[in-house]
Amino acid sequence: MDFGSFLAAPEIKVKIVTYRDIFQNKAMIEDRFGEEYKNTSALIKMDPADLKQMNVKKGDTVIVKNSFGKIIARAEESGYETPHKGLAYMPNSPWSNMLVSDETGGMGVPKFKDIEATVTSAKGAKVTDLEL
Amino acid sequence: MEGNYYVCTGCGLLCDDIEVELEKDAVSKVYTACRVGVAHMKEGSREAVSQVDGKHAEEATAIEKAAEILKNAKNPLIFGLGTSTNEAQKKAIELAKKLNATLDDTSSFCLGPVVEALLQEKFNTCTLDDVRHKGDVMVFWGADPSDSHPRHLSKFSYFPRGEQKQRGWEEERTAIAIDIRKSHTAKICGSNFFQIPPGGDTEFINALIDGVSGKLPKTSYKFPPKRLLELANILKGAKFGTIFMGLGLLYSLDDLDPIIRLVEVLNEKAKGEFHLIPMVGHYNMRGFNENLFAETGYVNCVKFENGEAKHGPEYSTVEALKAKTVDAVLVIGSDPLASLPHSIVKNLLDIPIISIDPCETLTSRKAKVHFSTAVTGVECGGSATRMDGVEVKFDPILEAKRSTDEEILTKIMEAL
Repeated sequence: MDFGSFLAAPEIKVKIVTYRDIFQNKAMIEDRFGEEYKNTSALIKMDPADLKQMNVKKGDTVIVKNSFGKIIARAEESGYETPHKGLAYMPNSPWSNMLVSDETGGMGVPKFKDIEATVTSAKGAKVTDLEL
Repeated sequence: MEGNYYVCTGCGLLCDDIEVELEKDAVSKVYTACRVGVAHMKEGSREAVSQVDGKHAEEATAIEKAAEILKNAKNPLIFGLGTSTNEAQKKAIELAKKLNATLDDTSSFCLGPVVEALLQEKFNTCTLDDVRHKGDVMVFWGADPSDSHPRHLSKFSYFPRGEQKQRGWEEERTAIAIDIRKSHTAKICGSNFFQIPPGGDTEFINALIDGVSGKLPKTSYKFPPKRLLELANILKGAKFGTIFMGLGLLYSLDDLDPIIRLVEVLNEKAKGEFHLIPMVGHYNMRGFNENLFAETGYVNCVKFENGEAKHGPEYSTVEALKAKTVDAVLVIGSDPLASLPHSIVKNLLDIPIISIDPCETLTSRKAKVHFSTAVTGVECGGSATRMDGVEVKFDPILEAKRSTDEEILTKIMEAL
């Protein structure tokens, strides 16, 4: 028996910064409801140490959530040389937008690049589909 | 352009050196464009579709329905227009006036404040052609053109030969990236990549101003002063320097004062001139800002009342949706249900949406009325304002099978 399955799934807190990706942008233009756009968008890039702490391998799905929303995305290693534990990156997309706060200080500008969320293993669950 | 060169309307660069091959009334091959441009220019071969309540309808019926929604609304919002021609944008401004509508574009939550300051002449700017011909130091700050404007470095800012820069990037240009992560652009910049912590931009600017002014540059996150001084020296040595300001920098600042001050100080201390260009994304966002500015003195976030424009953040799309002050929305060439936070844009689902867009989008799927319109630069021509303020005119590649957004706006206006 896998003793680990009785333990609560390790959950880590991250700050997510969004960015632009040429491959994802191209996929959106070709078909924003297609698999390629989903694969290049529903993606969170993390520090390898954070993945290890969650018991998540690169390519596995994770639950990313906060009080504004919850998505299931694929986790990847960022590939950045400088360690960035607690800091994660997502391409700007409807998936990242599910997690952006409605707090704008009355100035009309949401914090697209400053998202607080928790991440935990999705234990094989599928990536969230694009729908409202 | 002369000959068979076309303009790509895939991003704010409006590359004007694109060649295409056609097959069966569709663009089959695209030369010179980037990956995004190729995908964009192959978009335009779809049939005209007008829908009411998700079902196919005659265009005239859909126009009537759209006009009815707008007439019945007390405070309609007109939103989008960053991917419309100057001509369509002017038509939308006219429509907003007629309807006493709130009018806004995506710039209210992206680079609008920078374009506004630019039009108010708060900082020194230049064109991308100036950079190609004269630029020796370029700073990509919170910007990653390798992903957002893929030909920026190869067509204008770093790699090409220019009139006064015949030896190009190998000897005569220095590219610098200041970012919180090692982006693709940062990789090109090599040892001139300066990695700062999220939210650390204001301090970095102030430290850089100190460095340029001969003081010891300090930051609370202990960025090595030696590295900061190295950067300050590169900037001081510039004959024609340009800061390309991206969203990463803008979102990190409380206001624009620090970056405007830095450009001022660099103009005092550097060998030559320093400039700032906002990295506008949509191909004609700057055009919208300029067209509205010429009409009202504001670049976005306006509400018309009897021909007069009121302005303020409460008329931004985000605040108007949050406060539920708008009761119908006409979206042109934008997909707010995808591009805005769900926590805010969900309120859009409570009001009737009219969507005008070449593509099927999340917003068009939820629209009461949807018009599938021509892709500008592919199925229709017009003019647009490049990210650096240069007006670019373009011809269509194909004969359009569907109406343009300008034509739909005109018809809606006539039906009111």
